[in-house]
Amino acid sequence: MRFLVAVKQVPDTSAMRVDADGNLVRQGVPSILDPYCETALCRILDTRVPGDEVAVFTMGPPQAESCLRRCLDLGADRAFLITDRDLGGSDTWATARAVSAFVERHCPDADLLVFGRQTIDGGTGQVPYEVAQLLDRQQFAYVTDLSIGDGGIEATQDYGDSLRRCKVPVRSVVSFGEVDLKGRLCSIADHIRAGERSVVKIDRVGLGLGVYSVGLKGSTTRIEGTSVVKGERKCRKVRIENPDRAVELIFDMVGVKG
Amino acid sequence: MSGCEGGSCSTCGGQEPSEERLPPGMLRRYDLNQSTAEGTLVWVELSDGVPTRCSLEMLSQARRMTDGRVFAVLFGPGGLKSVYVDLFAHGADTVYHVRDACLESYHPEAYCDAIASVCERVNPAVVLVAASPRGREVAPRLASTLRSGLCADCTGLEMDGRNLVATRPAFGGNILARIGYTQYPQIATVREGTFPTEPVAGRTGTAIYWQCPRPETKEILEEKAKDAASADICDARILIAVGNGIRDRSLVELAGRIAERIGGALCCSRPVADKGWLPRSVQVGMSGRNVKPNVYIALGISGSVQHRAGMSGSVKVIAVNPDPEAPIHGESDLSLLCDAGPVLRSMARSLGLDQ
Repeated sequence: MRFLVAVKQVPDTSAMRVDADGNLVRQGVPSILDPYCETALCRILDTRVPGDEVAVFTMGPPQAESCLRRCLDLGADRAFLITDRDLGGSDTWATARAVSAFVERHCPDADLLVFGRQTIDGGTGQVPYEVAQLLDRQQFAYVTDLSIGDGGIEATQDYGDSLRRCKVPVRSVVSFGEVDLKGRLCSIADHIRAGERSVVKIDRVGLGLGVYSVGLKGSTTRIEGTSVVKGERKCRKVRIENPDRAVELIFDMVGVKG
Repeated sequence: MSGCEGGSCSTCGGQEPSEERLPPGMLRRYDLNQSTAEGTLVWVELSDGVPTRCSLEMLSQARRMTDGRVFAVLFGPGGLKSVYVDLFAHGADTVYHVRDACLESYHPEAYCDAIASVCERVNPAVVLVAASPRGREVAPRLASTLRSGLCADCTGLEMDGRNLVATRPAFGGNILARIGYTQYPQIATVREGTFPTEPVAGRTGTAIYWQCPRPETKEILEEKAKDAASADICDARILIAVGNGIRDRSLVELAGRIAERIGGALCCSRPVADKGWLPRSVQVGMSGRNVKPNVYIALGISGSVQHRAGMSGSVKVIAVNPDPEAPIHGESDLSLLCDAGPVLRSMARSLGLDQ
């Protein structure tokens, strides 16, 4: 089997702080491999058997190479970086278009296209299914379990109110729904091997897309403006020594008699 | 062509302007190539044979924000007359009922194709889809099929003529971004609890059975219903939310019993759902649900921007967290700086619950 896993480099939103005016401080926030993508990659690395190939790709600025390095450390075999100034400002549709062009041109033989359910920065979770439509493949969302046997690929999907098991045809798009906090440790062998592997860079021309198909120009949505949300809370702080006092205050506000 | 105005000359008077006869620049001025899209289409999801709350909210909002027609698309078996009545009451003018035996179970590709075929027929300016697990899966595929834009998880929708301006929280709710579109139909997914429902009893409309040619279906080997959370957290008046500061699983169960006793429901932040202590269906925040209770009691929650995005609509917020710097205190009316565990135990004691 040949797996192709999509990953993204994201700012570590848990390290983000808000300044006194309520604006987001983005400076000094470290970039990390998105946890949803990392979980998806680890799931695939766990299911692989000898002979399988796991390739990863990302789209982003040149420094996104560091997240691909992390993927190689984790055990991926090949890495592609789609990077071009023209791709900047892409919305999900323009991103999906670039990604599907990449898959068709550079990895047309991938047996399974793997995504995380969403990323922690944007959180829209649209790209996997837009790519699936553009490539005319079936899509399997919220996958919790993927098994590959003699009978083909089977996926368990969790829709919140129901669980279902489906047969996954080869070349489908699969997106993993969960995020695994435990993470995965890199083996030294993988780390050494990763050093020998290079990241293949692909630009807009390499995707075969025109300037008007990608980036801001190729986007179907545009940001009209932003406004900062200001809280209007009382923010009354009470230091509590005795928990009973806390319960009194809570019940007072809720209107419950203890 | 002469520089006449008002069609008074013999060259152009009394004739409809056609594209090839127009002088240069005229085409752009009158924008003759603009789309004729009009109206709003809503995908109505059913749960146990009744429309989900979010679907009804979207219909009400569609009715409120435009004077145009409101279409609803519905999948399901026959015998849904009572559902039609409900949809008409909430604002639908026309219900397209896709009644195909093989589409009674959910197939994203086929659902998307069917909705797209209805879109081709009615040419709506706006398509609204619930930001439910299924909606989030179908909407992007639909946007891609229709070569159109999609704004996910909108918290506000405004119409400027036929143009939709969607508001969505960015970067976890600190910033509200206003998103416009360059294409029709303009597609948006809307989270449950965003808009109020406004049923008008006695409204009527038209229901149409819709056929879709040879739907593409998956091979489903097994499907079983999961136990949904006992109380819907979106409906709850009082919510007790537990976060990473609760270190003991038994305290989570205790919090659930307290919530039940005071007539509320239990919810959680992402770390608790990630640990598997509570189901995803009760997770509040960007990757969970939006809630607007009268009182939100956050126990041991630090208040990441993602979490605050899901609960900032609460009327009153009480935060219990020993860290005075925790961001949750910025979003709370009453901050109690102490450990959440003893507070929970004390609450249980004063309510007479055994631990």
